[in-house]
Amino acid sequence: MIARDRNWLLVFFVCVALVAIYPFFADGYRLTVIRDALIFGLFAASLDFFWGRTGILCFGHAAFFGIGGYVMARVMLDVAIPFAGLLGLVGAVVGAAFVAGIIGYFLFFGGIRGSYFTIVTLAMCVICQQAAISWSSVTGGDSGLIGIPPLEFDSGRLHLDLGQDLPSYIFVAGVVTLIVFVLWSISRGRWGTVLVAIQDNEVRAAALGHNAPLRLLATFVLSAAIAGLAGALYVCMAGLVAPDLAGLLLSTEVIVWVAVGGRGTLLGPVLGAFFILRAQQVISSLNPSLWPLVLGCVFVVIVFLLPDGILSIFARLKALLRAGSKAP
Amino acid sequence: MDFLLTTFLNAMTLISILLLVGLGLAISFGLMNVTNLAHGDFVTVGAFAVYFVQSIGGSFWLGLAAATVAGAAVGFILEFAIIRHLYSRPVSTVLATWGVSLILQQVLELTFGLGAKPVTPPVDGTFDLIFTAYPAYRLILIAIALMILLAVVLLIRKTSFGLDIRTVIQNREMAEGVGINTRRTYAIAFSFGAAIAGLAGGLIAPLAIVLPQMGVNYLANAFFVVIVGGAGSIGGLVAGSVFVGGFTSVLDYQISPSLAQAVVLLAAIVAVRLRPNGLLNGVSR
Amino acid sequence: MNEVLLRAEGVGVRFGGLRALDSVDFTVREKQLACIIGPNGAGKSTFLNVLTGTLRPTTGRVCFLGQDIAGLPLHRIARLGIARKFQIPSIFPSLSVAENLSVATWAIASPSRSVGELMELVALDDRAATLAGELAHGQKQWLEIGMALAIGPRLLLLDEPTAGMTPQETLATAEMLLRLKGEFSVVAVEHDIRFVRALNCETLVLHQGRNLVSGPFHEVEANDTVRDVYLGRR
Repeated sequence: MIARDRNWLLVFFVCVALVAIYPFFADGYRLTVIRDALIFGLFAASLDFFWGRTGILCFGHAAFFGIGGYVMARVMLDVAIPFAGLLGLVGAVVGAAFVAGIIGYFLFFGGIRGSYFTIVTLAMCVICQQAAISWSSVTGGDSGLIGIPPLEFDSGRLHLDLGQDLPSYIFVAGVVTLIVFVLWSISRGRWGTVLVAIQDNEVRAAALGHNAPLRLLATFVLSAAIAGLAGALYVCMAGLVAPDLAGLLLSTEVIVWVAVGGRGTLLGPVLGAFFILRAQQVISSLNPSLWPLVLGCVFVVIVFLLPDGILSIFARLKALLRAGSKAP
Repeated sequence: MDFLLTTFLNAMTLISILLLVGLGLAISFGLMNVTNLAHGDFVTVGAFAVYFVQSIGGSFWLGLAAATVAGAAVGFILEFAIIRHLYSRPVSTVLATWGVSLILQQVLELTFGLGAKPVTPPVDGTFDLIFTAYPAYRLILIAIALMILLAVVLLIRKTSFGLDIRTVIQNREMAEGVGINTRRTYAIAFSFGAAIAGLAGGLIAPLAIVLPQMGVNYLANAFFVVIVGGAGSIGGLVAGSVFVGGFTSVLDYQISPSLAQAVVLLAAIVAVRLRPNGLLNGVSR
Repeated sequence: MNEVLLRAEGVGVRFGGLRALDSVDFTVREKQLACIIGPNGAGKSTFLNVLTGTLRPTTGRVCFLGQDIAGLPLHRIARLGIARKFQIPSIFPSLSVAENLSVATWAIASPSRSVGELMELVALDDRAATLAGELAHGQKQWLEIGMALAIGPRLLLLDEPTAGMTPQETLATAEMLLRLKGEFSVVAVEHDIRFVRALNCETLVLHQGRNLVSGPFHEVEANDTVRDVYLGRR
């Protein structure tokens, strides 16, 4: 196994271990904070799965998060069968995947890449947010929907009530760990390698026989499906859904999480989400309108000073040290 | 008949604004390949400029001039400080301009406060057009937009500066080789597009809800205009504006605005799928 | 005598008023090595484009195993068994050598060779983990040949394979092609006479779009007309 993969697995297991022992040190409230951060981390990882391997930036990823959330909310509020939770999760994933499939089909098979794709996804998000606001009969309009019951799995023998802090924490931690690992396996395997080839030289990859638009579409749909899952999880943990969850601000925040954490690493974005969410809480408590200003500055700073994200600082330090020790 | 005429003129109003906003984007995105997500904020700056001038007692027309200058200034600073360093890094341009957009919106909010800003149009009342009476200001807006478009076309076709822009955009190295200062040309072209967008913001201010966040809609629509119409030609710009503006106007009365926007988005995506090189240039890629 | 793979008969190409090629005949057999040479502007690239089916000749035709290939789409031609390597290396710089070759083999239902075998064929097996973008120019060309071989072609067409190579790389490439000759046919359009001499194969000399001389290299080299053409006396 090559060094890059070894390092990743090492960091991954350390993080999983930390997440696993955290409940022994923290009370219920803190558990929910980390649990919610993990859900947003999953959201960030889903964006990185697409952006990291294809180099194409989706500027409206929160649309899928929101679609997942609203589908979950409606199912949990309207459908009163024992497995409503499961149905809601499936519906959220399918809903997000469906929208991504339609938009992705027209764009990828139409040869759209790069900036054009970014702009269309930006518009898609704006429209989703507006639809969430104006379609009030379904979405509850500006104020959204509240009172969404938590997930509950009851199959007679096994009863899981995820309304409690600890069970919900364990559930979310388990789901996020599993999905991040699966995404990593896919990225470093054949699928991910072909995506890098397509990013390097799409014409050549196609000349070799690879169906590039289909590959890109599948990646985009999977990335959207996971974002939808994250949205659904968030909604039943938080108990409410609102248009912001499908909005442009969240879309750009997740981009910052990925850019700061390290695009392409899958783990970095999760960590990026953690740290930036914490920073956001601190800054917003000083002054609510300060955060978008800071966020804007962060964007500009990243572009000029840290194009490869925070994790690259370590790589650069290592390179500096190596260069320093080589000099006579 | 009066309904048709009214709808037609409403569409023309929207198309006119899209033409002006889209023109700047056609230059920066279509020709210079820069994805500037702060383009909508030039419109916002223009609208706020008119509001500001009026609030200190100036006339609408003075405000309009201020809007154009403000747009040009913001555009120039943006190009100088940020965009010029990122010409070869498209994703970075997207992120950086988005950051600037956030900052601009917040600065406007902090300076002028929350709440929509009122802007009074220079003329009130309607104009009698036989079949119907139509708001006079809108007719003036349409007229101004078309005149500006004509002026820009003449400027690009007939003057040496227009030739410079076209040369630089075709081939920057060659242009440098024949002694054209490409940095300056890029800066001027970009600022010019921003100025026109600022002007559009000033023109639309009496009709729109003037908020710091008002630019986003114009941003999205302007990009559609350039993408669907085909970047790189005035004809494409017109075609794209007619497509997006016409479609939106017709739908706006039948269904809710956000549903109308969604339909236009879908129509735009399908149009791009069928005609990747723009409405006028057709299918080959 | 080996079976005929590719046969070009009376091929002529006109671009508007310009006659780029005029009645060129050319035959390639199984497991044969052949070169096409000629001074600049002789029509070599045009002829290669006709042989790969990407350019439809104005007169004459090109058949691969009896089938007319003019105008067929790129992947159909690849399926027939013709592989082409372009002048500028077209590889995936962010991927390693092994990954580049893997991507080439993954697109095919039943690849004829494994990645390891391909790496050995093009002498890059000691560089499996190197990023393709970091290879020397000559090695990039070899990698691309390796990728072209992944589809198991019967005919490999090379467009100036030694362009930009050092003399050592040029000779190594010649040795490689001589090794590969037993596997499939190779036709190379070339400029570098040292390379062609090292290959010592059937050679076609084009001049002003016409077939000037063809035959074994030593005959062509000794031909006075050829010398005159190359030295500019004709």
